[in-house]
Amino acid sequence: MDASIMAAIVQAVAAQPEEVAASAIEGVDVIKAGALIGAGICMGFGAIGPGIGEGFAAGKACEAIGRSPENAGLLTRTMLIGQAVSESTGIYALVVALVILFGVVLGG
Amino acid sequence: MEVLTPEVWVDIGRYVGAGLALGLGGIGAAIGMGMAAASANEATMRQPVVQGHLMRTMLIGQAVGGSPSIFALVVGLLIFYMPVSPEEIGLPKAAALAGAGLAIGMGCLGSGVGCGWPASAACAGVARNPKRVTGIMSLMIIGQAMAQSPSIFATVISLILLFRPVTAIGMAGVGVAIGAGIAMGAGALGPGIGSGTTAGGALRGVSNWPRSQGITLRTMLIGQAVSQTPAIFGLLVAFIMMFALADLEPTIVNFAKTIGAGIAVGLGGIGPGIGSGLAGETACLASATRPRLDALVLRTMLIGQAVSQSTAIYALIVALILIYLV
Repeated sequence: MDASIMAAIVQAVAAQPEEVAASAIEGVDVIKAGALIGAGICMGFGAIGPGIGEGFAAGKACEAIGRSPENAGLLTRTMLIGQAVSESTGIYALVVALVILFGVVLGG
Repeated sequence: MEVLTPEVWVDIGRYVGAGLALGLGGIGAAIGMGMAAASANEATMRQPVVQGHLMRTMLIGQAVGGSPSIFALVVGLLIFYMPVSPEEIGLPKAAALAGAGLAIGMGCLGSGVGCGWPASAACAGVARNPKRVTGIMSLMIIGQAMAQSPSIFATVISLILLFRPVTAIGMAGVGVAIGAGIAMGAGALGPGIGSGTTAGGALRGVSNWPRSQGITLRTMLIGQAVSQTPAIFGLLVAFIMMFALADLEPTIVNFAKTIGAGIAVGLGGIGPGIGSGLAGETACLASATRPRLDALVLRTMLIGQAVSQSTAIYALIVALILIYLV
């Protein structure tokens, strides 16, 4: 892309409307903005894997309970332990997102 | 630099929005219809005697499963041809047009794919059990209708984005429109697919064990309703952004926080939606096989789905912190 068009896009995105352009964007704001989008991406993508994985575990538990209902307690316990382990990456994502939000943005 | 006037931005928004709506919205329905056709071909090969029933089941399944792509077509054409009043011309309106395209395109992708599972399971079931064709077809239509509700949420949000006058100004307006679009669009993707797999499991069960149709229908409806929670979270966040954040300051921080909240709740809903659907699929099969164990299977399914939804709830919490505390 032509460098002048690129510059025009950056200018138009950053300085709309014109009266706000006077208060120029500071470096701190850019860091804060990056941290906010980063927190969103972190929690959003981090939630995909655990959601699908726990669904697999729950599905297999339903199937197994349908076959041998006398082991329902054991199967439910196994399902919950498996899901708790699978949940851990979702919790890591939550922790990282909260650290970004409360540490980087709200803290300083 | 007179190249990028506000009118040009609105045109860019139109092209991007209509392209996203029609491009993404067509993918899902095409995959779903292909699944139905593949299964109908296989079933006709096995049971050529019932090819009339099979053809009818496939065509009805494809017609119902194609409606998300028709929503996308209608909204895409609206995005492309909608008149914009002179005082609204600017970057926020352009973002609203593109955001409406994101919402409807991704929302219809999930529901379109989801409608393929019940249609293909119904074709296989009709071949196996031709006498039950009416029951199988009605269960297929109920399952597909449920799988389409995320795409209807997405249609509502995209129409509001298109027709509501833009109030937030500058970068805040851009963030609100794109963020609401991602929250609703990506948030509807997983639930659409998940509700479809649940309906597919119910149809496989009912075509093998037709006597347990009532119990399987109940398990399917409960499973689908739970797997649609992430879509409702997406809808909620999109509404909050469009109606409660109308007077945001146009700063880069507000732009980032609305986009971040949209990404968090939208993408965060994909996994839980699909996962709850997978749990629902086998639960429907189990309650069709052993209708007497229905209560136990339903309980296990609900516990499993609740745990699988927890990441969607984390995503909602992060989105609400982004919106209200930052």
